[in-house]
Amino acid sequence: MQLETIPRVVYGSTSFVSVGGTHSSSPIIVEALSKTYKVTDREGGFGAAVKSFFKRTFKEVHAVQQVSFQIGQGEVVGFLGPNGAGKTTTLKMLSGLLYPTSGSARVLGYTPWERQPGYLRSMTLVMGQRNRLAWDVPAADSFLLNKAIYRISDADYAQTYRELDELLELGPISRKPVRNLSLGERMKCELAASLLHRPKVLFLDEPTIGLDVSAQTRIRAFLKEYNRRTGATIILTSHYMADVVALCERVIIIHHGRLKYDGALSDLSRRIAPYKIIAVHLGGCDDCALDAYGTVLPGEDESGRKRIQAPADQAPAITARLLAEQPVQDLTIEDPPIEDVIERAFNE
Amino acid sequence: MNILRIVGAFIKLNVQIALAYRSEALVQILLNLMWLGWELTSLAIIFSNTTELGGWGPAELIALLGVWRLVNTLMSIIVWPNTEKFNQGLRDGSLDYTFLQPANSQFLVSVSRIELWRLPDFIIALALILVGLAHSGRITSALNIISFLALMVSGFAVLYSLWIVMISITFWFTKFDNNVTILAALLDAGRFPAQVYPFWLRLLITFVIPIAVATTVPLQALRGDLAWWEIVGFLALGAASVLISSRLWKAGVRRYSGASA
Repeated sequence: MQLETIPRVVYGSTSFVSVGGTHSSSPIIVEALSKTYKVTDREGGFGAAVKSFFKRTFKEVHAVQQVSFQIGQGEVVGFLGPNGAGKTTTLKMLSGLLYPTSGSARVLGYTPWERQPGYLRSMTLVMGQRNRLAWDVPAADSFLLNKAIYRISDADYAQTYRELDELLELGPISRKPVRNLSLGERMKCELAASLLHRPKVLFLDEPTIGLDVSAQTRIRAFLKEYNRRTGATIILTSHYMADVVALCERVIIIHHGRLKYDGALSDLSRRIAPYKIIAVHLGGCDDCALDAYGTVLPGEDESGRKRIQAPADQAPAITARLLAEQPVQDLTIEDPPIEDVIERAFNE
Repeated sequence: MNILRIVGAFIKLNVQIALAYRSEALVQILLNLMWLGWELTSLAIIFSNTTELGGWGPAELIALLGVWRLVNTLMSIIVWPNTEKFNQGLRDGSLDYTFLQPANSQFLVSVSRIELWRLPDFIIALALILVGLAHSGRITSALNIISFLALMVSGFAVLYSLWIVMISITFWFTKFDNNVTILAALLDAGRFPAQVYPFWLRLLITFVIPIAVATTVPLQALRGDLAWWEIVGFLALGAASVLISSRLWKAGVRRYSGASA
């Protein structure tokens, strides 16, 4: 079931204003959630280190500030922001790992950080860089441990496993020791282990990090199908634009802990980054005048190609001109990196 | 009961892990026999110079060695491997998953690793206790045996609680990686009866880092050396330490979650 009212986008320097009334049916309701860390603060150098040993000075880091949003049942929302924006901190509060400094959150009617068993049994947190499976044995053995911890009945377990197996093709990989799996195979097993108890809410923190393109595609396809079949609500963070494009109609952007954008993804790229990156390699012409085609970005990409930034609607025409007028050996058209889009959003 | 089902699942998982490392079994058994040889040799050297040590004869010290080994075996099966898992989880963040599972977190960190290849050590430990007692010439009553068993359980509960305290402290001082080194080092002191140590050290290993509570004390009960109120006192100490340590664990978890400043 999709949320009928898509929240109105309020975009700008002020934070999001909740509109459309309170959906009592919304599984995730976050209000003015804030988290402040106290960290030791000192300058670099030996002297400062000694001084800090005797007199410690603290600095308050506002990791998350006054963040509010609601997410409807079955929505898949992309949670975006540069490193250190507060994404993971927010996900940790929503999953119950961290207590907020102030504000409130209700997920499935529970206050997450009370960590009531009923809550823990109906949600899951997957962190792409963390490992929950026992290293030395096949994943299937870790699955059985989760079956006991989550009190999954034999019948439910058999059914859920069958479904996950069908979607993720676990068969051959769940019988190999986890340490012998590729990163992509391991992620499939991590996801399966996290979903055996059929959570209604999924918090996914960079589930495709470090995976090759085909593994990313498979994980993406799985999440899409899983969401379609089960109607689970998903919040996902990723640094890969393709993940977000494939899965999320709605995105929430935070930067420096503040909510900067909450709305449709299509609006975001149109409004904030309406351009493409054309990467070209020209044969025997190192200093051809590329300025005529668009803004030439400084430096080269990892394959040694020049990059031209061009308005999205003109990219096809510019590419055609390039191919006609220049000795092009290699050319690709890419979306701007998600970090750039987001970075742009904040600088506006 | 669900707790038993979880323990069962952990045991199954650890059997699989143990079976994945078969050569480990042989190494463990050989190492263990080597240590046993060394321990018995040092006892033989001591008793070639004297007939008793702090009021304990050679046979009784063999029994004490057995009790001490029993405690060490429990530590090697449960405590040390879970310490390693805990410290690693704290470093790489996988401990986060433990706190999000619908089961008591202290229980989960206590039983998630079980070093099954150390189980044969139990046989050696029990053999030492029985041989030592048989040769000591002391007749023990059924009541003494029951107090011995109860004090073994409560003595181990004290050591386990001490371990919980030490790993809980890690939540406040994240760089405290060698959190259990003191415990491991002082455990070694339990090989000899508390009575051989100077008074201050005896206090330390009975009450501060109570190794003797799990080694000398149960054996004293078995010899019938303890008054009933002493037995009750030590049992109460065991219960109290479990309660206090689990509160400290909860406070540590709240600290980890950023609930306290």
